[in-house]
Amino acid sequence: MSKTINVNGIEYPIDVDEQMPLLWFLRDKLEFTGTKFGCGNGLCGACTVHVDGQATRSCITPVSTLANKNITTIEGLSEHGEHPLQKAWLENNVPQCGYCQAGQIMNAASLLATNSSPTDDEIVSAMQGNICRCGTYQRIKKAIRVAADELAKEV
Amino acid sequence: MNKHILDAMSAYYDANPIESSIVSQPATIAFDNVSRRNFLKVAGIASSGLVMGVSLPSFAGTANKGSAAAEFNPNAFIHLSENGDTLIYCGRCEMGQGISTALPAAVADEMEADWSKVSIEQADGNEAKFGSQATGGSASIRKMFEPMRKAGAAAKEMLILAAAKVWQVNASDCYAENHFVINKQNQQKLSYGELATLAANIEVPIDPKLKSKSQYRYIGKALDRHDQGKVVVGKRVYGVDTKLPGMKYAAIVHCPVLGGKLKSVDNSQALKMSGVIDVVEISPIKHPFSSIGAVAVVADNSWTAQQAVKQLKIEWDLGANAVYNTQEYKAQLVKNVETEAQLVTARGDIKKAFSNAATTLSATYTGGHLSHAPMEPNASVVWVQKDSCEVWASTQSPADIQKVLAQYLKRKPEDINVHVMMAGGAFGRKFKCDYVHEAAVISEKINAPVQLTWTREEDMRTGFYHSINAQHIQASMDEQGKVTGWLHRAAFPSINTLFDASVSRPSKNNFSEIDEHPFGIKNYRSESGESPAHTRIGWYRAVYAIFYGFAMGTFADELADKAQQDTVKFLHSIYDANTNAEQQQNTKRSKAVLDLAAKGAGWGKKLPKGEGIGIAVHYSFRSYVAMAVHVKVDGDNIKVLNVDCAIDCGQVLNTDGATAQMEGAVVMGMSLALATEITFRDGAVVNSNFHDYPVMRLKDMPKVTVHIVDSDEKPTGLGEPGVSPFAPALSNAVYAASGKRYRDLPFKPLKV
Ligand code: FES
Ligand code: FES
Repeated sequence: MSKTINVNGIEYPIDVDEQMPLLWFLRDKLEFTGTKFGCGNGLCGACTVHVDGQATRSCITPVSTLANKNITTIEGLSEHGEHPLQKAWLENNVPQCGYCQAGQIMNAASLLATNSSPTDDEIVSAMQGNICRCGTYQRIKKAIRVAADELAKEV
Repeated sequence: MNKHILDAMSAYYDANPIESSIVSQPATIAFDNVSRRNFLKVAGIASSGLVMGVSLPSFAGTANKGSAAAEFNPNAFIHLSENGDTLIYCGRCEMGQGISTALPAAVADEMEADWSKVSIEQADGNEAKFGSQATGGSASIRKMFEPMRKAGAAAKEMLILAAAKVWQVNASDCYAENHFVINKQNQQKLSYGELATLAANIEVPIDPKLKSKSQYRYIGKALDRHDQGKVVVGKRVYGVDTKLPGMKYAAIVHCPVLGGKLKSVDNSQALKMSGVIDVVEISPIKHPFSSIGAVAVVADNSWTAQQAVKQLKIEWDLGANAVYNTQEYKAQLVKNVETEAQLVTARGDIKKAFSNAATTLSATYTGGHLSHAPMEPNASVVWVQKDSCEVWASTQSPADIQKVLAQYLKRKPEDINVHVMMAGGAFGRKFKCDYVHEAAVISEKINAPVQLTWTREEDMRTGFYHSINAQHIQASMDEQGKVTGWLHRAAFPSINTLFDASVSRPSKNNFSEIDEHPFGIKNYRSESGESPAHTRIGWYRAVYAIFYGFAMGTFADELADKAQQDTVKFLHSIYDANTNAEQQQNTKRSKAVLDLAAKGAGWGKKLPKGEGIGIAVHYSFRSYVAMAVHVKVDGDNIKVLNVDCAIDCGQVLNTDGATAQMEGAVVMGMSLALATEITFRDGAVVNSNFHDYPVMRLKDMPKVTVHIVDSDEKPTGLGEPGVSPFAPALSNAVYAASGKRYRDLPFKPLKV
């Protein structure tokens, strides 16, 4: 039996080179293109997905190490784009070119999943690995704050 | 595009067989009532409704002159369907700057369309249809605002006439509002959808009446980016995301030194790898925007291709530019500007001004190469077949792709079908589509659709870099601190070197930004220092305004300090000394943004020890931007706290988009002021990825407040002008806070 991996709720066989990073398995094999390639070295965060809920740089994570794990990509973060972060992103008009934003949102979602009321400093340090070359940082910070406050209300 | 760049490009194109794509046409307008039936046939749209186009005089098909039909080509379509859905095409390329929201909103506003019924599509590369699509120089809004508004206004008038016909009343008894025409007499309504087909049969008004500012509904308001909903669910499709059946994936390595040649390649290891399909050698393509020569590996996925590239054993003959070392080169540039150089422009008597001066001051400013480094690396998909060539690319210039590939494949430009994809950032880099041309070479060779994605390392090492530069300014002042003389020397490898390798110093055109700078100085002289190019130079967001703005804005602060005057007052007096009637508008607007930024920052307020506010203003790409930067300095540690940014770009289109552009400009300005620099050693770029090209991250984000001048002037662009005032304002702020003066960009380079 070949190993399998669960991506956004569906099982897929891992039928590629053991060393292939998850990023390329997602993009080239499964054709989930929402997860982006920015640096290939864990430096920019564009490729961030969740592995069992934990923000992970898919460009440096060999797919073979992820057998039986649950992967969530931006396409699977919520059913209809109703995650508080997705809503806050739109309310605050965060994206410019938008290329980095899947990684930003996935990284922030993992932060909020483990710490639903982060301080501003905690937001800053959690997001330090995600580059936005268009410079949307001010709005990213604000949107995470808004989403966190929204989540706090729900609890 | 800057005039000097245009000039250089047209000179190149004149001398070369491929015809120019970047010469922009005058935006005079005529309307073409596209015959609906014809259009539908051509476009294959199966519904009826109103289809109309704005027309710009054709500049591509001059051969067809004489026939009225060929003289005007519709260039931007509005398609109003019978259910009211309104589709607007955006001809200009979108890379995050928001043009595909701003321009269609101007159409919708004049058309009195309901924005929620409007959808927007990116037009394919077709200049005959859409006019110039080359997107650069912060020119899209400046050139397209009025034609787009007129298209919308004409559609509205036709819809009103159609309704008047139905009701058998005068058009003046009807008005349009939010996708309806309303009968003033009895408040009856007809929807745009109901009227669409009728309106299509009405003659297009030649000179439709445009709205006044007070009537705008979308122009000058805050609008959401039309497709941001797709971004947050990962559904916005970029150039790098294209998938085709049977598509192969390629990775590439280029000759590290400009002008080098491939000596030999041993591809045996690469070819042995499972999944590898082929190794393709790419010879240099003779075009300033094209491939410098490379070796590519094709595989069944990108990662395998990238791994296989590392297994290639390549020997390059590096050629003459292997001598290039930026550290030494910069030192040489400094020498070249600190001694007499070649005269460019002289006004008045600078010698006399200097000898009669009460005080003089001089300073030298420098800066390094920069790489655009958009988050989406260069990527495209190309499929060359026997009788077709189809391209999916993030690009700023689809026409250049068409022209270069037409030349390369020996076909006609219109036979190269370019789908303009959303670019994941561009900043000038994707104007030059060498990565697309290379994908075509590979596709032709392997006879399959190919996606070529450059790695970040290739993107950083095979760029079209912002110029390394040095400037030396010397000025004289009288007893009152009035500036009496100004000598300005500059040396930098210019963009002109792309088109003519023999160019060895900046041209007179390259100097226009400082020769025509609106400071009022009677005695003035500019000189151009020797500075040949050893790498490809390209326009990087804000281009020469980056270093000109830095030198002018910092030196003005140094002069104010020397004259013991407040910088804002000093800048006012230097603008006030300008007696040139043609520049009065310019000085007035410069002072206004300066004052607005100063006010926003609380200029002159008392600050804690170690903090300071610096200010600078720069006019570029016909827009005015001032920034006041508030910093906290602790030893070598510079923390930017607040930035107050004031802009005057005439009538602003989308206030939220404008604000976003300024926030982004601060981030890019801060990266280049503090940290990013491309270093060459032995002809090759040393930097490779974001660890040694440390672009700004979230931690360093200051609070940015944008103040927009409410203006009725014609709109001008904002993509670039925000970048230049940041670095000088920062240098001035650090000086105010600590007494330390930074004159070299970046202030804190990494040792690579
Ligand atoms: S692509 Fe994975 S961190 Fe940059
Ligand atoms: S929005 Fe363009 S890189 Fe972040």
